[in-house]
Amino acid sequence: MRGSLIWNSQRYSSLIILCYLVYIASFIISQDEINFFSWSNFFLSFEVRFLTSFIFIMIVVHAYIGLWTVGTDYLTSRTLGFLNKSIAKRAKLMRNTYFFTFGFLGIVYLSSILYIIWL
Amino acid sequence: MFGNKLQVNLYRYNPEEDKFPYMKKYVIEKPKRDIMILDLLHLLKEEDQSISYRRSCREGVCGSDGMNINGKNGLACITPISSVVKRNKIELRPLPGLPVIRDLVVDMTEFYAQYEKIKPFLQNETTAPEQERLQSPEERDKLDGLYECILCACCSTSCPSFWWNPDKFVGPAALLQAYRFLADSRDLKTEERLEALSDPFSVYRCHGIMNCVNVCPKGLNPNKAIGEIKSMLHKNKKDIIVTDGV
Repeated sequence: MRGSLIWNSQRYSSLIILCYLVYIASFIISQDEINFFSWSNFFLSFEVRFLTSFIFIMIVVHAYIGLWTVGTDYLTSRTLGFLNKSIAKRAKLMRNTYFFTFGFLGIVYLSSILYIIWL
Repeated sequence: MFGNKLQVNLYRYNPEEDKFPYMKKYVIEKPKRDIMILDLLHLLKEEDQSISYRRSCREGVCGSDGMNINGKNGLACITPISSVVKRNKIELRPLPGLPVIRDLVVDMTEFYAQYEKIKPFLQNETTAPEQERLQSPEERDKLDGLYECILCACCSTSCPSFWWNPDKFVGPAALLQAYRFLADSRDLKTEERLEALSDPFSVYRCHGIMNCVNVCPKGLNPNKAIGEIKSMLHKNKKDIIVTDGV
């Protein structure tokens, strides 16, 4: 994997998420009154659905990179060896389980979000 | 609490005798004038000959006596007692993250391996001029704040990323030196140097927490150098692909 690709993905995804939050905030501020209809009309438009879907993909990418960094820092034979040597021998298994678990949760989370948005 | 006494808590570990490291308390007369931590260690060594630590130049040039002084890495020879003492107590530990050989002496193999990895020498295969390769004053200025590093390891051993991945993350000290050669107009291996640093660990494990800047006894800024390397890597499209292999 490219170091700069991972680094850029995390930084740019955070900026894109920030822009989305500003966009949502500007919508809320610009409305005289927020009610169910104005809120659902806004979020049911194709553009906002598409944008929201994209943002949640960014959230999952951003979160997974962060979790990958945590996993490769703390779930190594060296770091776990500080706790217990027998645990350290299973570092690779623990790390892969950790990556798989959070990867799976990310997919489930994203699928659920896309289901809610589009169906 | 101690009046004219000074309590020194010293990390002790002799692998031939001790099963585990321990902290030993020494109480000595408070020196009448402000002395350096290294002088304090000399005083303690007069009392207890078994205390081990590295020292050489005793003036902040050789980088031998890097240690953790009251929780902050620094050079014992240029750290006055008055600047670190808290309630008449001083705690001395070895540099964190590196294997302890004995007392305050650490095994620097991993640190030097990273230094070796960045090829800390000028690489220029063009025919050498009769006298020397010249630089303009502007080109030379770029090396200020980089070449002064004495490799004391205070920065790298205060960096959590280096603690967790000392075999993969190059660390602030070696990265400062990597940039020293990247910024050198006489060095012609910029592409190769950047390629060697473009994996997810070598440079990108730096999260910019700036512990390195906080502890550097020479007042250098490895974090800025790492930022410059990242900028160069972003401009350089020749990133290499590496596998996880943790």
